[in-house]
Amino acid sequence: MSALSLHKRIEENTGLLIFGILFVSSIGGLVQILPVLNQESLQEPTANTKPYTAVELTGRDIYIREGCSVCHSQQIRPLIAEVERYGPYSRAGEFVYDRPFLWGSKRTGPDLHRIGGKFSDDWHRVHLIDPRAVVPESIMPGYPWLASRDASQTGDIVAKMQALSTLGHPYTQEQIDAAESDLEGLLEIDALIVYLQMLGTGLDEEIIR
Amino acid sequence: MVADLPVGFWSGWIVVLTCVSLATLAWVVLSVYFAPPDAKAEDAHEPVWDGDLREGASAPPLWWFWMLLGAMIFSLVYLMLYPGLGSFEGLLNWSQGKRLVSSYENYEQSFDARRAEIANLALAEVQADPVLMATADRIFRRECSACHGIDGRGQASLFPNLMDIDWQWGGSPDQIEQTLRNGRQANMPAWGPIIGEEKTRDVAEYLLDFSDREHAGRLVYEQSCAACHGAEGAGNVFLGAPNLADNIWLYGGDLDSILTTLQEGRAGNMPAFVENRLDATQLKLIVAKLAR
Repeated sequence: MSALSLHKRIEENTGLLIFGILFVSSIGGLVQILPVLNQESLQEPTANTKPYTAVELTGRDIYIREGCSVCHSQQIRPLIAEVERYGPYSRAGEFVYDRPFLWGSKRTGPDLHRIGGKFSDDWHRVHLIDPRAVVPESIMPGYPWLASRDASQTGDIVAKMQALSTLGHPYTQEQIDAAESDLEGLLEIDALIVYLQMLGTGLDEEIIR
Repeated sequence: MVADLPVGFWSGWIVVLTCVSLATLAWVVLSVYFAPPDAKAEDAHEPVWDGDLREGASAPPLWWFWMLLGAMIFSLVYLMLYPGLGSFEGLLNWSQGKRLVSSYENYEQSFDARRAEIANLALAEVQADPVLMATADRIFRRECSACHGIDGRGQASLFPNLMDIDWQWGGSPDQIEQTLRNGRQANMPAWGPIIGEEKTRDVAEYLLDFSDREHAGRLVYEQSCAACHGAEGAGNVFLGAPNLADNIWLYGGDLDSILTTLQEGRAGNMPAFVENRLDATQLKLIVAKLAR
């Protein structure tokens, strides 16, 4: 059988043609994507990467709600210029508990993946309420309402943690039980700062600087 | 460190799919160009135009064939030299990850000579070198200016002025280096609940004018404040207790600001700047900039 007679058979049979097109166009994905989805070394959390605590998770949800990821990426590429500016480049294992990912694709503001520990809590508080109080040339909007809302208003933290634990995040029952009391007395701005301060701290290895 | 190659089943999966795809492509190309002539006319129902024009009547142009052959040979050579077939690393032993590591190493090494040179300089020599001080300014802008301001004069009534003579944790090169290396955590307790509103107001008023020895706040000051800030209000750089006798007030020097400080306490925090943020050379440059 030659390729021409096979070609003729496929062209005369629509079902076969559809199947053939789908099959051929899926080969790239079968080779490039499927093995990576199943590669354990990319799914193993890095040494200090742990599921988000109740407060961090709340801060993260505020980060999502306020659209921080629209202007800030959380992904440092393995290039010298980026590593010099932001710190060690991002590893796959640091994102295993990120649902959804907040990598972002637009840097109107700087990347925030290694922001944790870079500034003091006080700085973040001033900066979130009025960015120009500390960075005069900043174009970031202020988020003053974060300082007047309770962190517990952000959503049902217990339900969120249970949902994540269904998806395989290793929360203990004690953590879920304590979630609501962890948020007690905290404002949204506090939760967001706790989240920002833990960003990028999951790496613990001999880091190439 | 760098993402590794797929292993086991998925490695085989990639190898088999890649090789089968390549072989199928080769078979399609070869059989179109070298099909026996009678195979082309085997079906009588095939539409024919102008007497002899039918599917496969003549082969596609020959330069297509050479292009396709070239592409196939290229892909075979590529798959032999570079990582592509599952866990096979390729004969050149090249990978993006390895290139990354070596480019970092080269980048770091390119500074070795200059770093060694700077390490041997005395602080005064660094300060006298305008090129080094320009570098120090750039590092300052990148690492310090967010809190202390572009000009280093402090801002937001939270972050101290680094350009004046007043140093909460000490202004000697060693003390500044310690502050940068380990960070600092100040801890001024909230006195309001402890000494009560009246005494808080007394001591706040006394702080506005230290010279008034007869003021009611003096006794409170000596009981509660002098342990850290000193009997004369000179402060203590080992505790990070600021000088209260000068006219420099980090959190504001008016009565209301002082009252807030006394009632709520203060916990100024300076993050540590060594790990991954400043190397020894950069640290030295920043110390040289600040300790003048």
